[in-house]
Amino acid sequence: MAGAGRDERAWVRRAQAGSASDFEALFRAHWGAAYRAAYLVVRDAAAAEDIAQEAFLAAVRALDRFDRKRPFGPWLHRIVVNRAIDWARARALRPEAEEVDAPAPERPERDEELLRELDRLTPEHRAVIVLRYLLEYTPGEIAELLELPRGTVNSRLRRGLDSLKDRLE
Amino acid sequence: MKDFRAPNEEQAAERSWDVVHAAYETREPVAWPRRHWRPLAVGAVAAAAVAAVLSPPGRSVVHSLRKAVGVEHAETSLFSLPGRGRLLVSGPSGTWIVRADGSRRRLGDYQTATWSPHGIFIAATHGNELATLDQKGNVHWTLSRRAPRFPAWTGSFTDTRIAYLAGRKLHVVAGDGTGDRVIDRAAPVAPVWRPGLGYVIAYARGSTVIVRDVVTGAELLRKGSDIRPRKLAWSSDGKLLLVFKPYATRVYDLHGKVVAQDDPSDATFDRDAAFVPGTHRALAIRAAGGGSQVFSLYDGRSVFRGTGVFRQLVFSPDGRWLLITWPTANQWVFVRSQPRKIVGAARISNQFGGYPRVASWCCGR
Repeated sequence: MAGAGRDERAWVRRAQAGSASDFEALFRAHWGAAYRAAYLVVRDAAAAEDIAQEAFLAAVRALDRFDRKRPFGPWLHRIVVNRAIDWARARALRPEAEEVDAPAPERPERDEELLRELDRLTPEHRAVIVLRYLLEYTPGEIAELLELPRGTVNSRLRRGLDSLKDRLE
Repeated sequence: MKDFRAPNEEQAAERSWDVVHAAYETREPVAWPRRHWRPLAVGAVAAAAVAAVLSPPGRSVVHSLRKAVGVEHAETSLFSLPGRGRLLVSGPSGTWIVRADGSRRRLGDYQTATWSPHGIFIAATHGNELATLDQKGNVHWTLSRRAPRFPAWTGSFTDTRIAYLAGRKLHVVAGDGTGDRVIDRAAPVAPVWRPGLGYVIAYARGSTVIVRDVVTGAELLRKGSDIRPRKLAWSSDGKLLLVFKPYATRVYDLHGKVVAQDDPSDATFDRDAAFVPGTHRALAIRAAGGGSQVFSLYDGRSVFRGTGVFRQLVFSPDGRWLLITWPTANQWVFVRSQPRKIVGAARISNQFGGYPRVASWCCGR
């Protein structure tokens, strides 16, 4: 994981002591993955930015209580992915007729295809795919992060991958 | 999927960093297990401010920040500095020198840096190393210490000292890298040398500000408080000390008497403050709602205001130009008071690999 290890523990320790530069190092190390994960689940850049930002604000509020022995990334990603799933579910319940996202930069065709096919999955399926293949958590870690049985994670991964494979092939 | 990039990652990161950084700056680290009512009260205020940002109306403010903000007709890049001298800036991509003609030189992967007293050399920190460099980035000497930060360099052409923090201690080393010694325990706040003769330094220990002569060891001033300062600054003549805190900024004379102060209301807080060079006047950045304004601590006169977050105030050495860093707009704004003129430079983060902090503006009198 980005920023994992001794550097990250040192950043957390010094950020707890009030070092803004170390807190910034922590933010820079984790922002990209948090934002991408949120974006892949919600597929809305503004919402993804809010979700990632709120996760970091939660980190600020919890910083003094944070256990430095534990890695920061999984803690942050749990917040990001759970909020992203909630947001995507809520939007599914009240679809917005004229939702227009910010114009996306040109992307490789493969990325566009992947995004289109991810859109067809449910937020729950997207979340496990993102945790597994973007953030590279193991199924066991995903189960812990999302508080799901391991079997459920495996089946969501399997079904999600099958669905993507069928459409991308 | 590992190679996937979401839209506008960098801009989103800079916008969010401003909000998150503001929340971080206004939090009070809790000294567990001891609790004091004041930090908790301040924490509650900070939480309320964050909650305001996160509430639906507050969020709409955040959304509104994503619309275009900044100085109209800003230059599309930093083509030159409006005043003389050169800037030293540090950001995610390291430390850079920016010259008056706008040329930039990256010195290396340094996190904090400062000019030597006459702007010839640079002291900088990286990892577990304090280093001095020339302006081409050639290293003169290095000193291995645990996570050194905030170097501050003072002295004459023949005898200089560099103060810095390592761990929770304030160190001082001679300008040639010899004689490093610990002066005192210190909080993570940049120490500042008093201008003029001698080696007198102001630093924070916990929430107390101490002024000490590092040659004699004599403590010249001690000002306690419940809240740790965020920044210390001397007036050019070394007669006044500014102790910046987001909720309670004070300017002290050498006897410890308060000569100016600012106590923002609960709904607002200050982000930075700085003396106007050659004067006893200080300006501060006040954050309120979705905007920021720069105002005089003495008479409250507003100097500049805008939408979003202003981060830093940095004066040109002659005091004629004020640089306001404006990450929300991804701009630097240069303001001259007499005659009034405003110059903007856009796309700052693109030029420095992320939005940088300005260490100082040096040597252009």
